[in-house]
Amino acid sequence: MEWFHPGAIYIFGALLIPVLKGRLKKVYLLLLPVLALINLLFMSYGLFLSAGKAWIFPFLGYDLILGRIDKLSMVFAYVFVIASFCMMLYAIHVKEDGQHLSAYLYVGSTLGVVFAGDLFTLFFFWEVMAWSALFLIWYRKTKAAFGAGFRYILVHFFGGTCLLAGILLHWYTTGSMAFEPFPWGEGVGWSNLATYLILLSFLINAAVPPLHAWLSDAYPEATVTGAVFLTAFTTKSAIYVLVRGFPGVEILAWWGAIMAVYGVVFAVLENDIRRLLAYHIISQVGYMVSGVGMGVVGTAAGEMAINGAVAHAFCHILYKALLFMGAGAVLEVTGRSKLTELGGLYRYMPITFHLYMVGAYSISGFPLFNGFVSKSMVVEASAMWHLPIIWLMLEGASIGTFLHTGLKLPWGTWFAKEKPICKAKEPPKNMLVAMGITAFFCTLLGLYPKILYHLLPYPVHYQPYTPGHVVSMSQLLLFTFVAFWLFRGMLHGEPTLTLDTDWFYRIAGKKVIWFCEKPLMAFASFVDAKVMAIVHFVIWASRNPAIALSIKKQEVAIGVKRLFVNPVTVRDDELWLEEKRKRYPEELPKLTLGGSIFLILLALFLYLILYLVSLHLEVS
Amino acid sequence: MLYAFLFMSLMAGFLVHTYFHPPIHFFWETISFFSALYGFIGCILIIIGSKVLGRYWLQKKEDYYDQNE
Repeated sequence: MEWFHPGAIYIFGALLIPVLKGRLKKVYLLLLPVLALINLLFMSYGLFLSAGKAWIFPFLGYDLILGRIDKLSMVFAYVFVIASFCMMLYAIHVKEDGQHLSAYLYVGSTLGVVFAGDLFTLFFFWEVMAWSALFLIWYRKTKAAFGAGFRYILVHFFGGTCLLAGILLHWYTTGSMAFEPFPWGEGVGWSNLATYLILLSFLINAAVPPLHAWLSDAYPEATVTGAVFLTAFTTKSAIYVLVRGFPGVEILAWWGAIMAVYGVVFAVLENDIRRLLAYHIISQVGYMVSGVGMGVVGTAAGEMAINGAVAHAFCHILYKALLFMGAGAVLEVTGRSKLTELGGLYRYMPITFHLYMVGAYSISGFPLFNGFVSKSMVVEASAMWHLPIIWLMLEGASIGTFLHTGLKLPWGTWFAKEKPICKAKEPPKNMLVAMGITAFFCTLLGLYPKILYHLLPYPVHYQPYTPGHVVSMSQLLLFTFVAFWLFRGMLHGEPTLTLDTDWFYRIAGKKVIWFCEKPLMAFASFVDAKVMAIVHFVIWASRNPAIALSIKKQEVAIGVKRLFVNPVTVRDDELWLEEKRKRYPEELPKLTLGGSIFLILLALFLYLILYLVSLHLEVS
Repeated sequence: MLYAFLFMSLMAGFLVHTYFHPPIHFFWETISFFSALYGFIGCILIIIGSKVLGRYWLQKKEDYYDQNE
């Protein structure tokens, strides 16, 4: 066999899950990612196709390319496969087959997106990715999860529709289905509209504000293990398609920087620990979007930015999974996820705490952890482009990241209160081992960034561990800690929820529906009644137009007379009108079916005669 | 312990600046303790700015959506 799609291992492999039982099923679930990883290693070492295109199927005169293999698709495939192994280990104790099945469909379709070489294939896997993730939310089986899941899927169906419309327009204007960088232009035109629609759908999946609210709304409502899967695939595959389709589109550099700060601001206000972390997904994806925006192809700074975006996606998947695993472990053993209901748990779950902190150090970009080696590439790119405001925003977001995920959240969950607020224990062993493996990868990449740098799409000439950089990052984070300690009184959780752009479809949308149902419907039935009145009049008048006209004339005349003359004299006229109305023809007798057919045939016959006569006249 | 770390990081910043001359992209990178200052002030600004936004605009009671839905 020349090549086998890694996504197919997951998608077809998932079908066997319900058949298997007990220990065998657990082994099988962990075997699938291992097989996929071996597959990827074969590809890297050239035993399978190491670069190029495979699995090409002709379709409607175009080629569907399921396997486009190059360094960019390989690096994303690696991290998705590695992360899926850790995540499945974390979830292996879950009894419901449906959760595992939808998780592997989700992973498989994401790999489908990554290897898609044409836009139709991309669209297909894009949609599977959207709805397979939905079940990871719904399996929580709470009312909140059900509602959030519905809002999630509505937003994604909107995004998917935009993508399809964009693809069709792109096809119509360029005649090409290939998934290559889209021509970026400003102004109104079909080809620009196509590009904008495709970009819009990508930005929805990347959770770029103001299109991000589905993420912070839905992910915290997902199941404990489902949320861990959700953190990785949708947003990071969106980064992949942005790198593929829109490298160096300047507006993204700014948008990403704003996004990085936006997530941080909302995280301050958040009480739910998993929602706090969800806002930090938005913040971290901001770095990647910014990197894509600075990634002008063919320049040193642009290559640094693209490398940075990809490297940060790689590292982010690992440490964000670890953070969600830690928060999920707390939820699993206590049933609580709000800071106001947590505190002092260190006594019961120290191992979870320490493993969580590895993730926290990584996301904050502490030296020796993986966030340090990837985030700094994006920041360095902004320095190379001489964009001081973006630089300050990205560095500022690092401060906020450490403040929340590294200080506020662990302090509020594991410390903050003298006595533990509730009973707790360490989570099941498989969860701890999964966290341990993920933490190992986070530190490994921090210590040996070469492993990661080798996988990146462009050659890396960057050394993160310079004395200046290590010292400035340490200063930044240490003094963030000082400020946190001084203001920690202000950072207690508050039992509130925070308005976000989902307000527009949760409240404003409701008002729009009310407007449609009440005033708009009243207006519609008014118009309807008037039109029907006219129709009835026409039917009535057509029975005998001459008399109908004289009746109407008489009515008007009586009305006018009433204004000027004594009502008694009008009486005669009224009686006369009454008489006339009585003599007006009744409803015409309804035709039978045979009668109508006869009339139709008669009309056709007359038409035929007319036609023949006219033909004859023309000839003569 | 914490104070020792803080002092060490400031000293290290000063030493690195005098002996290694890291590349300068922006004018503030000439200040050896800029990162410390930015971390401290930035953190306070984030806390206060967000809290003000939340208090006066964004934060609502937990049943806000249940009541309006």
